[in-house]
Amino acid sequence: MVSVRALRKHYTVHKRPPGLRAAFRSLFRRVPTLVKAVDGISFEIAAGERVGFLGPNGAGKTTTLKVLSGLLYPSSGEVRVDGHVPQHREDVFLKKIMLVTGQKQQLLWDLPPSETFALNRAIYEVPEPEFRRRMAELTELLELGDLVNKPTRSLSLGERMKCELAAALVHGPKVLFLDEPTIGLDVSMQATIRSFIRRYNEETGATLLLTSHYMDDVAALCPRVIVIDKGTLSYDGGLDALVRRMRPEKRVVLRLDRPAPALALEGLGKVVSADAAQVVLQVRQDAVSLTVARALATLSVRDLTVEDPPLEEVMSELFAQNRVRAETAA
Amino acid sequence: MRKLGRYLRLLRVQVRSSVLLGLQYRADFLIDGAISLCWTTTALVPLFVVFHDRPVIAGWKFAEALVVVGWFTLLEAILEGAINPSLTAVVEHIRKGTLDFVLLKPADAQFLVSTARFEPWRSTNVLTALAIWTVAFVRLGRGPSPVGVLAALVLLGSATLLLYSLWILTVSAAFYVVKVDNLTNLFGSVFDAARWPVQIFRGVLRWVFTLVVPLALMTTYPAEALLGRLSPLALVGSVAGAGAFAWLSRRVWLGSLARYSSASS
Repeated sequence: MVSVRALRKHYTVHKRPPGLRAAFRSLFRRVPTLVKAVDGISFEIAAGERVGFLGPNGAGKTTTLKVLSGLLYPSSGEVRVDGHVPQHREDVFLKKIMLVTGQKQQLLWDLPPSETFALNRAIYEVPEPEFRRRMAELTELLELGDLVNKPTRSLSLGERMKCELAAALVHGPKVLFLDEPTIGLDVSMQATIRSFIRRYNEETGATLLLTSHYMDDVAALCPRVIVIDKGTLSYDGGLDALVRRMRPEKRVVLRLDRPAPALALEGLGKVVSADAAQVVLQVRQDAVSLTVARALATLSVRDLTVEDPPLEEVMSELFAQNRVRAETAA
Repeated sequence: MRKLGRYLRLLRVQVRSSVLLGLQYRADFLIDGAISLCWTTTALVPLFVVFHDRPVIAGWKFAEALVVVGWFTLLEAILEGAINPSLTAVVEHIRKGTLDFVLLKPADAQFLVSTARFEPWRSTNVLTALAIWTVAFVRLGRGPSPVGVLAALVLLGSATLLLYSLWILTVSAAFYVVKVDNLTNLFGSVFDAARWPVQIFRGVLRWVFTLVVPLALMTTYPAEALLGRLSPLALVGSVAGAGAFAWLSRRVWLGSLARYSSASS
């Protein structure tokens, strides 16, 4: 469904050192600097897949999404979305895709969201019965209720995001690019948006490519992740495999009735954190059952869970590794 | 034909949104109407001053010059009500990166941005223009001929197209520079010269206002048509000139779109 080969997007920007003198000098002589926003990435996404597109700020995620949706011309490389070349921006292509961004909105600010829906219906030429059916579905799934008839400016951020999603799906896109769709939302609204996105994918078979800084979004939605850093691809594969590769250990979380003596803990595994009520241990996967048995035998354990290390830690370790590799290469 | 039908439907939806928006801000209607009327009245003062001691200037009598002012007032109404609201919004779209949403739509981006917003209550000056023409023709002691009215109607279309094309050219600059407020102010100041018959300007300015920024084609020629003294050649030239500007502005707009880099999130 999505095919990207050796995609490059380079910009030239004019850099200027700080200060008044430099500002005057730059009036006459500007120093061009090449920015490699995306520098030769390749990947394929099959129809119906949900893929997380991860990377630190400035990694090139949004740039790639904009190239895929036809907003930016690639400097070189080949990009296809459902057989179309995005930058040709043919109507038939634009009717198949949508880009949803958590930081920008398409809803008409002073009018109710229903007006944006009507406008999009006309633009995408959605037949009236289909439009009504889809709006009824979206209203139910996103619990829009009466929100669609209130002026957009009077809606909360979460309510606006729900309406943004509805506006983006009026034409039933086959490919959905989601750029930080849950940014700034509270935890319960994030969960609502996540479950909706998942359901949309399962019910329509739409392909999803999602960027997010909230690892909960990625863990809940994306069996596969593509990681880019400084414009180059550093990982493409299963999320579980990434976690196993970066952090082969598991976390054993012990909730205690009585504080445990430090000496008793040291023999169990690496202590990540410990207080009177809770101890978190890091242990090798093959040692989990032994550690659990010994903890239950020696400590006053009220409750016990075995977890993967937090995804945030896995990602920051991956980014740190990439930085070290880049510095060594330089 | 199907395409035309589709765009007419789109236009209807866009106009509907504008009307709904307008109804939310009913007070604007009265305030803007009153402000426009004040501006037009003060704009007539220089004309009174200039013609006070001289009955004829550059071949134009006071009443004839009033016909030019009438055209200027009418075009200002079109600019304020139909062109300005949408196109100033484009500049904001470009700056904030929300033009992305326009470009993602399967419809012509220039059409979408140009029809995004109409503010008909800003067009009260249409009535002022009709009043000015009435006064002018009463003072002249005659009415415009049917042929003159017909030619004037054709020129109203070409003048609107010219005005719109000049705005598209100005707005396209927003793709290259971040702030175009100065450019739009410059456009406003230059357009202000259209209240005078072009013959009043001498030398280079007259050429500039006829060929480069064709203010003559927008107000002087239509006024001459109403007065029944425009040559058929000037009529054809005006229409062709408007077509050429529309073509040029379309090329520049498309070229600018290709340069659009979108604001980062």
